Amino acid sequence: MSSLKSQTVSHNISSPYLSRLARIERVTRLTEKERLFNIAIEDSKTLGHAPGQFIMLSIPGFGEAPISVSSPPDKGNMFELCVRAVGNLTNALHNLTKEDKIWIRGPYGKGFPVENLKHKDLLFIAGGIGLVPMRSLIKTVLNERSSYGSVHLLYGIKGPDEILFKDELLQWGRTGNINIQITVDKPHPEWKGHTGVVTTFIPPLKIDETKTAAIVVGPPVMYKYVIMSLGDKRIAGHDIYLSLERRMKCGLGKCGHCQINSIYVCQEGPVFRLSNIRYLREAI
Amino acid sequence: MEYRFLSKKGVASFVTGLLKEFRVYGPVKLVPAGSKQGKDGFPMYGEVASPDELNLLHTPTHLSPKQYLFPPKETLLKFKKGAPTSPFIPLQRGTPFLSPSGGGQGEEIAPVVEAYDQALFGVHPCDIHAIRLLDRVFAYGTPDANYLKRRERTVIIGIDCLPDKHCFCKSVNTMKAESGFDIFLHDIGSGFLAEIGTQKGKELLFKYTKTRRATLKEASKIDIFQKKKAESFTSSINAEASTLPLLYSGSYNSPVWEKIGKICYGCGSCNNVCPTCYCFDVRDEMKANLTEGERYRVWDACLLEDFAKVAGGHNFRKTRAERLRHRFNRKFQYQVDRFGGLFCVGCGRCIRTCLVNINIVEVTNELIEESNRKP
Repeated sequence: MSSLKSQTVSHNISSPYLSRLARIERVTRLTEKERLFNIAIEDSKTLGHAPGQFIMLSIPGFGEAPISVSSPPDKGNMFELCVRAVGNLTNALHNLTKEDKIWIRGPYGKGFPVENLKHKDLLFIAGGIGLVPMRSLIKTVLNERSSYGSVHLLYGIKGPDEILFKDELLQWGRTGNINIQITVDKPHPEWKGHTGVVTTFIPPLKIDETKTAAIVVGPPVMYKYVIMSLGDKRIAGHDIYLSLERRMKCGLGKCGHCQINSIYVCQEGPVFRLSNIRYLREAI
Repeated sequence: MEYRFLSKKGVASFVTGLLKEFRVYGPVKLVPAGSKQGKDGFPMYGEVASPDELNLLHTPTHLSPKQYLFPPKETLLKFKKGAPTSPFIPLQRGTPFLSPSGGGQGEEIAPVVEAYDQALFGVHPCDIHAIRLLDRVFAYGTPDANYLKRRERTVIIGIDCLPDKHCFCKSVNTMKAESGFDIFLHDIGSGFLAEIGTQKGKELLFKYTKTRRATLKEASKIDIFQKKKAESFTSSINAEASTLPLLYSGSYNSPVWEKIGKICYGCGSCNNVCPTCYCFDVRDEMKANLTEGERYRVWDACLLEDFAKVAGGHNFRKTRAERLRHRFNRKFQYQVDRFGGLFCVGCGRCIRTCLVNINIVEVTNELIEESNRKP
């Protein structure tokens, strides 16, 4: 009893569900369904997140949901969220404009291990809105571009209308010293670029498997095929990082929705090394 | 181990005493025409106003006392939308607003952490074990203020019991509670022996009732009862409890999951009655005036279809077979890896409540048989 009894002595704990107030500074329409929100925390403190982490965003009366932070770490109180309108809360969010208020708590989860990626060649593979959490890391890398080797970004989306961060992609390609390749799933009359799944970019790539790290974020169906293609390139599971999407209600390792076997994605993830989850049933 | 003898009357005066300081919850007497009997015929926990209402020698209850530490619905935050100049109205005493000045539009959020002194009277050993597991879950990582504050203000008075046909606590080593209670009562016929678990329990016992030191002869009756109890089980798992995590890990691809998945309704009743299920959903609700509302959590169930479904539509456990496998593994493997200790305490509630008679003991025994057949 002694050990358990001491765990229940909790005089000063406060509710972990209490959120911080934040203000929308700017809303940018990226596609028909996705908008980018520039957000300032009202108490002027920094969010203090790492690339790949998420926050719980809420609008009272509309609920709360986990949203990846899309901007790189910043000393100020600003950060960015790119949100697709798919549910009650996200549709409500899309109705908000400059100066409107939202509530946030977090950041939560484990992000990308930026230090481990330094001096490596980086292979980013994004599918759909997988580019959203990845953008935080890409911009972190670009801010210190000389600390990394070659950088590739392979990006697959359903159609040309759904390309996120078009202007930034162009700019990264021009000035960021990144090899960017974009593909759409199905042929489109206005699309002159590549058509097909994102994995078709992988075989022709010239990769030094001894110093390459792959960062993969996309819909569940994408992981299996990307992992096989990366295996063909002899990239070690140890050097492949994935961000897993799961339903989450608390972000605190309690509510059970994000559980994969004995793992809570909100605690041990959402970013995982492939070597740590390859044999985790139901993970990929 | 310290035992004190108290008469049946002594137990009643103990309860009467506790009622002065605590809200007392316990298994209540079955009232044939009354409202307190469970619809399924099982005894229920309820708040008691006098010792006469308690049914101490009860068979397993429909819901476990988990409901008093982790209520089926619990407010986490209250919020208020209003003009920036709206006056500062505390929603609950002692809980400061996040932004006392109001947030621009005057939006305010206040946390709600409710707890009061409560006594759970007549808790069976399986449920005492279950509460210990919940203590770990809600204390690890980011502590859960709502649960822990309730727990802190809860005293537990346990009582020993005999199994019904679905109890199998002996198989998962929860037949006896060595700790996790403040007082534990043993029925010895002529009265009760109170086992002292904590200093607080001892103080309450001495404060509110007359006891005397138990004689050796009386104390020996506990062993006799334990022996009788151990021999009374009709339901048991055919393997050592310590082997079950490995058994489940090796049974991931067993045909058993498809078999029970075919008959399961996916209703989540097993989750709701389980004393160690703690998953929840978080929802918002506005009052009709649309300016005030609350964020609350409600019990959720991993057997329900949407439990692991994400906003984009992908469902990570689409079939009932997958969801059943997940729940069973949570009891015997996943949570064991995460928190230590089997998360099945052998209370048998999921068996009693299942509409299609899915039986966790039979399923486990089938897995054991299967694994024995493997070369």
